[in-house]
Amino acid sequence: MTVAAYYAGLWRLLQVWMPQLLVAAGGTLRMTALAFIVAATVGLGLALARLSRYAALSRFAVFYIEIVRGTPALTQLFLIYFGLTAVGLTLQAFQAAVVGLGLNGAAYLAEVYRAGIQAIHRGQREAAQAIGMTHGLVMRFIILPQAVRIILPPMANYTISLLKDTSVASLISAPELMLRARDLSSEYFRPMNLYVIAGLMYLAMAYPLSRAVRAMEARLSQGR
Amino acid sequence: MTGDSWGRALAQLPYLVHVLLLGAAMTVQVTAGGFVVAIVLGLVFAVLKTAPARILRVFATAYAEIFRGVPVLTQLFLIYFGLANIGIKLEPVPAAIVGFGINGGAYLTEVFRAGIEAIHGGQLEGASAIGMTRATAMWYVVLPQAVRVVLPPLGNFAIGLLKDTSIASAVAAPELSFRARTLVDQTFLSTQIYLMVAVLYLAMSLPLSRVVRALEARMGRGHVA
Repeated sequence: MTVAAYYAGLWRLLQVWMPQLLVAAGGTLRMTALAFIVAATVGLGLALARLSRYAALSRFAVFYIEIVRGTPALTQLFLIYFGLTAVGLTLQAFQAAVVGLGLNGAAYLAEVYRAGIQAIHRGQREAAQAIGMTHGLVMRFIILPQAVRIILPPMANYTISLLKDTSVASLISAPELMLRARDLSSEYFRPMNLYVIAGLMYLAMAYPLSRAVRAMEARLSQGR
Repeated sequence: MTGDSWGRALAQLPYLVHVLLLGAAMTVQVTAGGFVVAIVLGLVFAVLKTAPARILRVFATAYAEIFRGVPVLTQLFLIYFGLANIGIKLEPVPAAIVGFGINGGAYLTEVFRAGIEAIHGGQLEGASAIGMTRATAMWYVVLPQAVRVVLPPLGNFAIGLLKDTSIASAVAAPELSFRARTLVDQTFLSTQIYLMVAVLYLAMSLPLSRVVRALEARMGRGHVA
């Protein structure tokens, strides 16, 4: 087979593959967004629990964070997808991936939030309490708005890793880019072509994000 | 049914533990292998990234950006299935070690570069003033000092790598997660087996993260930046 014939063949295949891969990349983005929402919400709750005055709450948060950060996301996905099915709770693969990656990310983001909250000078809290604000009000109106500036860059970095980590969800057959690439490569037996394309598609999603994060980091560190 | 499955798991516990421990040993091997490859690649590319020649810097930057921008699972599939497709057949374990090594090397390039750049430029200038070549100065003056800056992130990388090796199960490397999957296929005890797997990963990663935290505390002490 000549080089020209090879590329003509590849071009025809690309016309079949690309629409499917683009749809699957949409699944990757959707999974990333939903898991991020779960992680950001649960993570905030965990961070507040960890910093809470109630020892039981704080201990629970530490326990959760240590366990989740100490085990692979893949194990957590398997536990949620296969493990919960065995005890009668069936989730679809995509839902299991969102829940699993979200609960996994929550443990990481909890530490990011905590670092951000603790970086705010305690005088701010004391001053707010001195003028009669309650603990909840201080958090909501004084601490968190200032902590956002510190939290944003690591949070954005987390989002980039999450985007790549969603590939692991293909191992529980959740519909996203890597699963489609794998299915197509077993159908057409062209793994080299397909995984290079998948890699380029991940790069096309992750690289602009990481440039944006770097620009944001430079901007936020200005004048501090 | 559920109660029964816990009883079955208990009855087969010695067998399950035995197989999972074999897997855990392989997890340690893949982690160690990937770690060594990543350190070597990371060092080489970090030195290239701080090199005077622009072409070398561009090359090192391209490596770091590309391999950090693509999921490690995609890289493993490329190395295991993709290379086999063009006639380069690797066994699962070497493929995993190479894959995690190349991927990790891209991360460590940045870690080592930061370490090298944290060493004051006067050190390199001083070394060249007494007649050392750039390479000699790098090896004897800059890198030994950079180790101190680099150790904590290196430790965190090792912990991340330990957990990431679970992904090697997708290319059939017989590490902990792969052994677990085979056991689940045999026994259908998914909940029990994956819980045991989680405990085993914790048993490996928690001590490691304690060590890293101690290291961070130690390195942070008396360090004049």
